[in-house]
Amino acid sequence: MAQSLPSRPAPAGAALVAHGVSKRYGHGPRSVEALSGVNLSIPSGSVYGLIGRNGAGKTTFVRIAATQLQPTSGQLEVLGHDVVREASQVRLRIAAVPQESRPLYFLNVDELIFLYLRMRGLDRPEARARTERVLDELSLRPVQRRLVSQLSGGMRRRAMVAMVLASEADVVFLDEPTTGLDPVARREVWAAIRRAKREHRTILLTTHYLDEAEALSDRLALLEGGQVKVEGSPTEIRDRVRLPYRVTVFGFRREELEPYGEVGGFDGGFIVFAREGAARELAAAALARGARVSLGPVSLEDIFLQIVGRPIDESSEGEDGPGEG
Amino acid sequence: MAETRHRGRSLLTLAYMNGIVPIRTQPLYLLGVIASPLSFLFFITIASNGSLFHDALAGGLVLTMISIGTSLQSDMAHYRQDLKLQDLLVASPVEAPVYVAGIALSELCYSLPGVAIFGLLWVLDTSVSWLTLLTVIPVLLLVWAFASGLGFTLATYFADVRETFVFSTLVSLGLTVIPPVYYPVSALPAKLREYAYLSPTTYAADLMRNAFGFEPLSIAARLTDWGVLIAFTAALLAIAAAKARWRDP
Repeated sequence: MAQSLPSRPAPAGAALVAHGVSKRYGHGPRSVEALSGVNLSIPSGSVYGLIGRNGAGKTTFVRIAATQLQPTSGQLEVLGHDVVREASQVRLRIAAVPQESRPLYFLNVDELIFLYLRMRGLDRPEARARTERVLDELSLRPVQRRLVSQLSGGMRRRAMVAMVLASEADVVFLDEPTTGLDPVARREVWAAIRRAKREHRTILLTTHYLDEAEALSDRLALLEGGQVKVEGSPTEIRDRVRLPYRVTVFGFRREELEPYGEVGGFDGGFIVFAREGAARELAAAALARGARVSLGPVSLEDIFLQIVGRPIDESSEGEDGPGEG
Repeated sequence: MAETRHRGRSLLTLAYMNGIVPIRTQPLYLLGVIASPLSFLFFITIASNGSLFHDALAGGLVLTMISIGTSLQSDMAHYRQDLKLQDLLVASPVEAPVYVAGIALSELCYSLPGVAIFGLLWVLDTSVSWLTLLTVIPVLLLVWAFASGLGFTLATYFADVRETFVFSTLVSLGLTVIPPVYYPVSALPAKLREYAYLSPTTYAADLMRNAFGFEPLSIAARLTDWGVLIAFTAALLAIAAAKARWRDP
């Protein structure tokens, strides 16, 4: 069994600060602007969710922050070090699971984690202890000796996340860490991320699963077209939304609902985004008519739709870098 | 001191991970690496009625080392493009020179059986002196170093792994098949001889043949061969350090 590791002191201030970060791929008329003047501040010891459609610029931002990609302009600091001028200091304290990364097929799960830690410079007992710990935490013990080439895509992804979390880096970048995972595996990754947060590590998470972002993130930024459209805690974002309530109602005609708010259709009923008063009035009217109705705060998905005007699973063509989501 | 220890640990781990582990999983990899040099040795010896056996022996050793560079080029392009291993390591304390040296060392593991076979053939054919070893080993290490630098630099520019297949063939052709590596430079028409000296492997093969006692060289010629080989290696490593892309532009 792994030894328990000493807990680190709670950090203060921002782990990551971005000022006007822009990225343009290519030159001339065919160049593509993937990020445009992004300003962000990510508190130390928090889980920060970067959400947006495919091609919104999430991966580009993470790659710049993780020192993997040069920005075109702007400044980005991680733990007080500039990612361009002081990349080597930044790299000592970060770890990242790149989007679409895959483990070396000839390693088994145990070797994958252990050798990654050794590559980072850990001595053998420490690397072994952390490997044992993360194998248990992410329920990888049953496949510990299996070659990664024999694992499902979801299990490989889980092994990659385990490997990076075992680094116990101060800032961890997880780019779409649960893509392809089944619901149980997703929950295990969530639990590991929460544990990392309890150990006061900062996690920057990109995802297009809004439930995941909402469940894990202390703060969120919604990226669209390379720009931050909204930023804050899930509650703050909800408070800032123009129509913060969602009423699902049956037995009404669209024209009857339009005075209450914005109306969208679904399976024989309607969804109405409304202010609190209008939402209550509509619910009361529906109950008086004996119609089926439900009322609640908008979900992050609803907020996304209100802000961007398109659902999150619709791609943003050509706004991101080569091969990036 | 601690930093040096960390670097050494990273380097050896990379070499173990990319060298020993795959060989343990699939020992046939080793045959793949020595197949080409041995085939050339076989055909050249047969075709020349044995007269070029010694040249082919020197050429086989050089090709074995060059194949490290082409394998490294393919591995690194695959790791960068398909697995995103380079991105994973960029966002870690592992530095670019440590990564290259670790992978280059791992590729050496694949080549050692080839070197051993050629060494054995050499020992069986002729006498071995310490002086010969003092030439052959540094020459092979220089070829290993420049082939690795070249492989890494090219690998960081490929947009797709398939491009490495073309470049590996071209590098092999340009450095071992066309230049006088498997045959003496005197076998070339006089007009082409000066072009042969554009390839660093020509100098390496010259030194090897001389060390084996198959080709007499003046002290000046030997010094020139060493000088060019060292300068070429230094230049290629400098280019690798300056131009290879660790972080994407």
